[in-house]
Amino acid sequence: MACASALASPALAAGHGPVFGYATPVNSQGEFSFDTGLIGRHGSQGTALTESSQIGYGITPHITVTVVAPFTFGKASLPETRMAGGGEWSSSVAWRFQHSVTSIGRRIESTVSLGLVVPGPQQDSGILASLHRAPGVAATLASGLASRSQYLWFGGGYTRFVEADTDRRPDTLSWSAIYGYRPPGLRRDVNHWDYRGFAELTGEHTGRVRSNGVLLPDSGTTSLWLGPSILAILKDVAIEGGIQAPLYRDVSASSYRRESIRFAINFSYLKYSSHAY
Amino acid sequence: MKKALALALLALLSSVANAEYRHVNMTVFGMDCAPCAHAIHVSMKGIKGVDMVNVDLNTGLVTISLVPGNTAGMHQFEEAVEKNGFTHKDATVIVRGKLAGTATAPVLEVVGTSDHYALTPSAQQPDLTALIGKLVEVNGLLPAAAKGKLPDLLRYKSITEAQ
Repeated sequence: MACASALASPALAAGHGPVFGYATPVNSQGEFSFDTGLIGRHGSQGTALTESSQIGYGITPHITVTVVAPFTFGKASLPETRMAGGGEWSSSVAWRFQHSVTSIGRRIESTVSLGLVVPGPQQDSGILASLHRAPGVAATLASGLASRSQYLWFGGGYTRFVEADTDRRPDTLSWSAIYGYRPPGLRRDVNHWDYRGFAELTGEHTGRVRSNGVLLPDSGTTSLWLGPSILAILKDVAIEGGIQAPLYRDVSASSYRRESIRFAINFSYLKYSSHAY
Repeated sequence: MKKALALALLALLSSVANAEYRHVNMTVFGMDCAPCAHAIHVSMKGIKGVDMVNVDLNTGLVTISLVPGNTAGMHQFEEAVEKNGFTHKDATVIVRGKLAGTATAPVLEVVGTSDHYALTPSAQQPDLTALIGKLVEVNGLLPAAAKGKLPDLLRYKSITEAQ
């Protein structure tokens, strides 16, 4: 089922879930998923863009491994994020450990993922740019319902970086609540485009930045974002886009620029295994 | 002349009744979206002998037609569902096989596969004495079995000598 969203870096949905938040689907056994997308964060100093490419592979029907290799453009001096791009490369294993298929077209499931995050080749901007960088670990947990008509997922994630030369990137705690709906007229068969819309509520809390052994004052942030996204799928290709605006921001203007909008667009190709037993 | 004889022999062999699944209509739980259906379609088509596959997302019904002479086994259809993370339920089948056992405890052996089922009628029990040992075509229901297991029982609606 086809389908890998519960990742250490959740910004790409691999054709099945929301574009910003956490969800439960994983790839089918033997299925490759190829994603490429653009995630943007617009702030008072400009726009930071992340072009992110991702490959996933389903080892079993419930375990998927994923590698994400993003590149960033633009310097917006914004806070650390694990939900809206960023320059860290990552690899993760997602395990759908709970899977309850209750009826036709409906299932309740939970997926946990554990990943390694390593600095990408590009520097951040703002106060994060001066830090020595080191790898980190990321864990996520998502749980929810998927059906022909509605989707509901709750998820959370935590990322912690290793200290490097008395510097350390901030720990990040992130969470999301996603509601999805497919109208009756769009519950069509496999030969037609499959559309669904999501309302994505996401939040992030980043800890304080450690620089030269000192926790920088006013460098911790908390923000809450809300917005719609739309997913369209035809057989093995998917296109998804979404936009979010801030509901709440606790971000010091002395440390970061003001972030006003987030947006993402993602393309997926799903290569299913036709392996015959 | 030799070519004509070979073709005639091939035609004769292909007309001989085989033991095989002809149609499998399987109910699958958990498919919510088009990629789910496409994944099932691709997996089923990957099974040697499968001719046509149709997946109806709203009913969860996967309809499979097979070519004559196939050796596909029921476990292949079930594994194609399981590897995509879904759950298979009841399946209605049209299947040919050798009727073994006794008239009161008949067993269908799908020769060419390892599949065999105890037969039980869905309505009144007909007299199967004349069919024992013969190749028969059975139309019936395979109830859902535990994951990784095949059903032991086939509840048949009709059973006729295969032509």
